[in-house]
Amino acid sequence: MILEPQKRISIKALTVWRISSVIKILISWILAGVAIFLLHIFNGPFWISLLLIAIELISTYIMIFLLPSLRWRRFRYDVRVEEIELQEGIFIVKRTLIPMIRVQHVDTVQGPILRKYQLASVIINTAATAHEIPALEESEAEELRRLISNLAMVADEDV
Amino acid sequence: MSEPKRLHPIVIVLTIGKRIKDLIFSFIALFFIWNKGDGGKLLLFGALAIAIIGIILTSILSWFRYTYRLEKNELRIEYGVFVRKKRYIPLERIQSLDISEGLFQRLCGMVKVKIETAGGSGNDEAEAVLSAIPKEEARYIQEYVAGAKNSSEPNVYEDPSQIVYKITPSQLLLLSLTSGGVGVVISAVLAFLSQLDDFIPYEKVFRGIEQWVVSNLILIALLIFAGLILAWILALFGTMLKYANFHVTKTEHDLVISQGLLEKRQMTIPIARIQAIRINENIVRQWLGYGSVNVESAGGSASNKEGSKVLLLPLVKLKDIEHILGPYLTEYQFTSSFTSVPKKAMNRYIFRSWYIVVPPVVVSIVFFKVWGLLSLIILALVTFWGGLKYKDAGWSLDDHQLSLRYRSMVRTTVFIRKNKIQSLEMRESYFQRRKDLATLEAFVKVGFGGAGGRVLDMDRMDVRKVYTWFSREDEKRD
Repeated sequence: MILEPQKRISIKALTVWRISSVIKILISWILAGVAIFLLHIFNGPFWISLLLIAIELISTYIMIFLLPSLRWRRFRYDVRVEEIELQEGIFIVKRTLIPMIRVQHVDTVQGPILRKYQLASVIINTAATAHEIPALEESEAEELRRLISNLAMVADEDV
Repeated sequence: MSEPKRLHPIVIVLTIGKRIKDLIFSFIALFFIWNKGDGGKLLLFGALAIAIIGIILTSILSWFRYTYRLEKNELRIEYGVFVRKKRYIPLERIQSLDISEGLFQRLCGMVKVKIETAGGSGNDEAEAVLSAIPKEEARYIQEYVAGAKNSSEPNVYEDPSQIVYKITPSQLLLLSLTSGGVGVVISAVLAFLSQLDDFIPYEKVFRGIEQWVVSNLILIALLIFAGLILAWILALFGTMLKYANFHVTKTEHDLVISQGLLEKRQMTIPIARIQAIRINENIVRQWLGYGSVNVESAGGSASNKEGSKVLLLPLVKLKDIEHILGPYLTEYQFTSSFTSVPKKAMNRYIFRSWYIVVPPVVVSIVFFKVWGLLSLIILALVTFWGGLKYKDAGWSLDDHQLSLRYRSMVRTTVFIRKNKIQSLEMRESYFQRRKDLATLEAFVKVGFGGAGGRVLDMDRMDVRKVYTWFSREDEKRD
């Protein structure tokens, strides 16, 4: 029987995801505001404005409160000697196995928000696919990148 | 041949031709914009002259700067007019070698060599293209590559090469009859006509013709029909020329595929570099019990799909595949016993085919009333297709090989060796979980990026079985 991967990403990921969701939601509120303003000027039907506001409210809740925590709870990873396993997804649960000998290179990536919270994402590349472990502690990400590239180097094999 | 060499000067002609072809539409556009008054004409011809002179000069220069040599087990190419570039390709990294003879190359007894590596040089045509080199040198590179790969002396090419497959005339005919090339020709003709839109004053013409059309509807229909037949015959001959004299031989470590009558091609694919083997059956061929076999290699790039997906057997009876390829590709099991997806998955397959089609069908019924009911035909077709997809989906597992079968438009069977799978994925949506189903997808390196196979709605336990099979640590954990 296969166990689920065990390791979780940093809990600070929640904050980071919420911040980026807030930015996206703000933009969509501005767009909705413009739309409502235009509707008002051109005497459009009132119910469309109501509908827009309702949609915005619901998506604000989903994007900022619901999705980040679901996503965080779901995301697990494990780095073993011969393979890497990831589990992710909100509605669709996806589990991925990446044999260590197939890893071509590993990157750590850090956007402005991640940097503020001393987090970094690790991206694992095979010859055909790329897989992300988002929002790890900086030191942990660094450590992981070194570990994976060392393990991958041992198992050197050609495409 | 370690001293730098140039390509045959015929390349200049080829480059000029290609560049002018690329520019011809801009020329035509300019012609219509500027062809007003004398000033415009002067401008037009001036631009034309400058462009052509420019093209000729840069073509000569780029030929002059392009040199190649074989040195220290590397193919070293230096090129570039304004920016000098050097590209060194280690011969042992070559994924496939494609030697072709176009009409121009044949006139001067040259061949064109395309070299693919696994590198993702996204936009380029291939990793390296030697557009016109003497045949002996191509042969030499081929031997050298084979030699470098075996890490022994370059051996003579003729040695143990066995003929794996040779197309028969009747197979060639059947191949041409059932190929999709017809569609390509028809759409090319249509595209061409729509391009003409801007140049022919259709409206004026139409007004005069309108009367005539109504009274000659049958004639028009006949003309269109004749046009289609003609397009089909053209496509037929096109396919025949392309695949005439198709044969596959196996040398010690490579598969060599040769084909073509007017334009000859020869592909060399190292067997160890094969990432997956894929059998495609379009619906007509499946009905006749035939399919085509492709080998997928890691070479090729985004714009050159041919480099990575190579037709190995253009047309073959499904039950003969094992018999033909089995002795040569010993690592692969060409099983035909597939475990189907469970019956409870059928509804999901059919439902999945519906949700794009149902809204337009509902809309058309609401708006067009009785006529809208015609759209139910589409719904029926789509349902039938969903049923087919369900029926065809299946999987099979051997010690070192995963085989997946599924249908998008054509039925695809893909055989992947365990050590060529780049990553494996299992997916369960909320609805799948309720029915104990899951989706399995395997990725292999094919060309620029990946490809592989995906079977939807397999039994969850089966997916887990494959997943465990692929996990290298699973035994340790028990």
